[in-house]
Amino acid sequence: MASKTSSTHQVVGKRLPRVDAKERVTGQAIYPADLSLPGMVHAKLLRSPHAHARIRSIDVTQAQALKGVLAVVTAADFPELPVGLTIPMGETGYDMWMIAAINMARGKVHWVGQPVAGVAAVDAHVAEAAVALIAVDYEPLPAVLVIAAAMAPEAPVLHEHVFTKGVEVRPRAPSNVGSRTVIARGNAARALEGAAARQCIHVEVDTAHQGYLEPQAVVAQVDANGFVTVWASTQGQFTAELMIARMLGMPQSRLKVVPLEVGGGFGGKIAIHGEAVAVRLAQKCGRPVKLAFTREEVLQGGSGPPAGALIDVAVGADHEGRLVAIEGTYCMDAGGLPGLSPSLLMQASAALYQTPNLHLQGYDVVTNKPRTEAYRGPGGIQAAFAMEQAMDALCQRLKLDPLEFRKRNAAVTGSTMPIGTPFPSIGLTTILQRVGEHSCWTDPLPKGRLPRGRGLALGYWRGTSMTSAGHITIAGDGRPMVTMGAIDLSGTRTTMAQVVAEEFGVGIGDIHISTGDTKSVGYSDGAAGSRVARTMTAALVEASRDALAQLSRRAAEKLQCRSEDLSYARGVFRSRHAGGPAISLAELMQATLTDGAVVGRGVSTKLPLGVEIGAHVCDVEVDTATGQVTVLRYTAFQDVGLALNPAAVEGQIQGSVVQGLGWALTEGFDYGPDGRLRNASLLDYRMPTALDVPDIECVIIETPVANVPYGVRGVGEVPIVPPAACVANAIARATGVRLTRMPMTPERVLRALEATARP
Amino acid sequence: MKMLITCTVNGEERTQLVDTRDTLLELLRDRLGLTGAKEGCGNGNCGTCTVLVDGAAVCSCLMLAREAPGHDILTIEGLANGEVLHAIQQAIVETGGTQCGFCTPGIVLSAKALLDANALPTDAQIRHAIAGNLCRCTGYGKIVEAIHSAAATLGGR
Repeated sequence: MASKTSSTHQVVGKRLPRVDAKERVTGQAIYPADLSLPGMVHAKLLRSPHAHARIRSIDVTQAQALKGVLAVVTAADFPELPVGLTIPMGETGYDMWMIAAINMARGKVHWVGQPVAGVAAVDAHVAEAAVALIAVDYEPLPAVLVIAAAMAPEAPVLHEHVFTKGVEVRPRAPSNVGSRTVIARGNAARALEGAAARQCIHVEVDTAHQGYLEPQAVVAQVDANGFVTVWASTQGQFTAELMIARMLGMPQSRLKVVPLEVGGGFGGKIAIHGEAVAVRLAQKCGRPVKLAFTREEVLQGGSGPPAGALIDVAVGADHEGRLVAIEGTYCMDAGGLPGLSPSLLMQASAALYQTPNLHLQGYDVVTNKPRTEAYRGPGGIQAAFAMEQAMDALCQRLKLDPLEFRKRNAAVTGSTMPIGTPFPSIGLTTILQRVGEHSCWTDPLPKGRLPRGRGLALGYWRGTSMTSAGHITIAGDGRPMVTMGAIDLSGTRTTMAQVVAEEFGVGIGDIHISTGDTKSVGYSDGAAGSRVARTMTAALVEASRDALAQLSRRAAEKLQCRSEDLSYARGVFRSRHAGGPAISLAELMQATLTDGAVVGRGVSTKLPLGVEIGAHVCDVEVDTATGQVTVLRYTAFQDVGLALNPAAVEGQIQGSVVQGLGWALTEGFDYGPDGRLRNASLLDYRMPTALDVPDIECVIIETPVANVPYGVRGVGEVPIVPPAACVANAIARATGVRLTRMPMTPERVLRALEATARP
Repeated sequence: MKMLITCTVNGEERTQLVDTRDTLLELLRDRLGLTGAKEGCGNGNCGTCTVLVDGAAVCSCLMLAREAPGHDILTIEGLANGEVLHAIQQAIVETGGTQCGFCTPGIVLSAKALLDANALPTDAQIRHAIAGNLCRCTGYGKIVEAIHSAAATLGGR
């Protein structure tokens, strides 16, 4: 479909308030922890105190005997799922054996905080007391806590069934390396040897957390016929339903997942964490069960944090500053269970540069820490921390302006992507040009008492498309009532109401929109991979046109003319003949209510990708006495295809950048030698407050994607990719010191400054 | 142990049986059904449970229910005047200062405590006033903008 420019739109592209903002500012928005059902009881989980141990036995008799306890479950209450079982999701499916293990350990525990039992009781106090009465006999095993130790040949093996995939000779012994992934062309090693200038960097990134403010919570109810309803905080109600059904060995038709508000997800609420356990407890005790995690549980092994990493990058260029080779090795910390694919993050780090020689290899490494999960452009910020610093250091070596270097080497529409196929339409050239014209780049760095520097970094994220569905029922007053299969993670209700309003030529106030449960709307994949706004737009454009076609036939009958003689605009069907009859949607529906429902349906399954590209510029000040880094100014340039709602786009970019700044400067998990997280609170795990960050200025660029309604690109993921590298590059320019450990806490900055100062 | 307490919540006198271990947050959420205040951390680090106690912004997870008698408590449910939002609520709606919404009730109330004491705060004063309220979605910029805008609206009265 040809894309119109935003100026020709009436509703799409407008800076409109969220349609669900009022319930948010009045406290009426309902999250699962807010829900109370008659007779509801409360659940608690018993979690492993060991990082690595065999479970010899679990004795629940004392817990069961406590007054007020209604049910206790362990792995014995769930079917044992085979290794390799997957559920459909996106391009690769989702490892169901892994999901089962993060919800309930079986036979072994692989991290501190992994659930081993669950209790339902009349109140949370009793449930907590009962959990303490469960006796687990553990045989502690040596724990492996860091990537390098896990990859060592003599390392204790976490999983006997894991043999490294992707290596040429099939390994004979099990290993902590789940897989090796290689993306290569040309001969990078030889090209680096012959390069006029080379730069290598080795970085280490600590595990962090998505930091959603709402801890995981769920309410489960089983009716008299055994039908299960789950009220969840999930990024995808259909994925949650599949996971719960498989974990319980029950048919999906016996289960409904109702998505409530999500108090932040950022990738951490794709997988279920306790939902199936709550259902099993509700089945056993015959009462509705609420399970709500504490913050300590969320941080101490009860959720999936994003992966820590060890990354080595080498880049080389010729005398003119043109890249000849990129080499990267990405060892990613999967936590206690294997299956983290580094392919996308590897591609992302090198995607924006044209180079004849490329060699990227990635490793999925298990350690005795919580199984890591997605976080906003998963792996992107870690990889960019290495790659964008290597590029910046190469510029310094070549005495070349970093923006000019990017311009010489930037990927363009049609140039070769890391996977070997040509880039679809991208606007990197425009982005770089806009950076060069902007005051954030052209203004001289304001002088301060302390050293200051300006950094530049690029970011790329591929995103995904997958499946979205929605339907539009026309109400008796002619207004479109939209039900979509996506939850609202990032303003989806608002942007999708804008799309439907645009298609119907009515105001956004005329649209009613809701997120469907799994029995009221068609299958949709979850809110992940910057896919929902794009693909749900495609689905709802189709649904709108389907509904309008049905309405047009009805109007033709009513006005006694042919459908093709009717035009439609702004809620009114009108005969094309001068002075001909007209009928509004309201009149039409009132006149034909008894003719049956008008329901337009739409599904999007294979929409072209809407790759995301951004460039960030920041000014920092480094306190050389304390190591404190202050971000003075931050500007994010991003090509969004078309901004469905500029306020929502800015909100996504600003929030994403600030999350990136958090990981860059203060957010890192601090594990003790026993595998216990030492900073499992929001005081010690230090996320940015309003005092820690400047206003984030957004520069929105619109290069539409062909064959996508409205030309929309993904938005929310890529802005978290550049910030750590951007800040590190600014620090390097301020102080001459490269920071290779993330987060770049004051202590680490100070140590790095001291190490360089020492002769 | 259970005890009977009486306190003022959103202008209404409420008498309630509480467990002596209950926090003010649990009283509000679990016993009075006022779920606008959220539990993000349970130990005073995130600010999602913020309510006003005699006009001061307080983490309700750090105060016991049994300490509530004699105090005037305002929760987010008591702020709007029927269908008419408070200026701070209205400004947050208009600027896009709420995304997932989990921090929003606490931020609105921290902002109210600020504007009640300081009708025309600076940027730094606003950021200081909401520094105890974590927000993970917005990056704070649009919230700060909303509080400035609300101050202008209220000051114009």
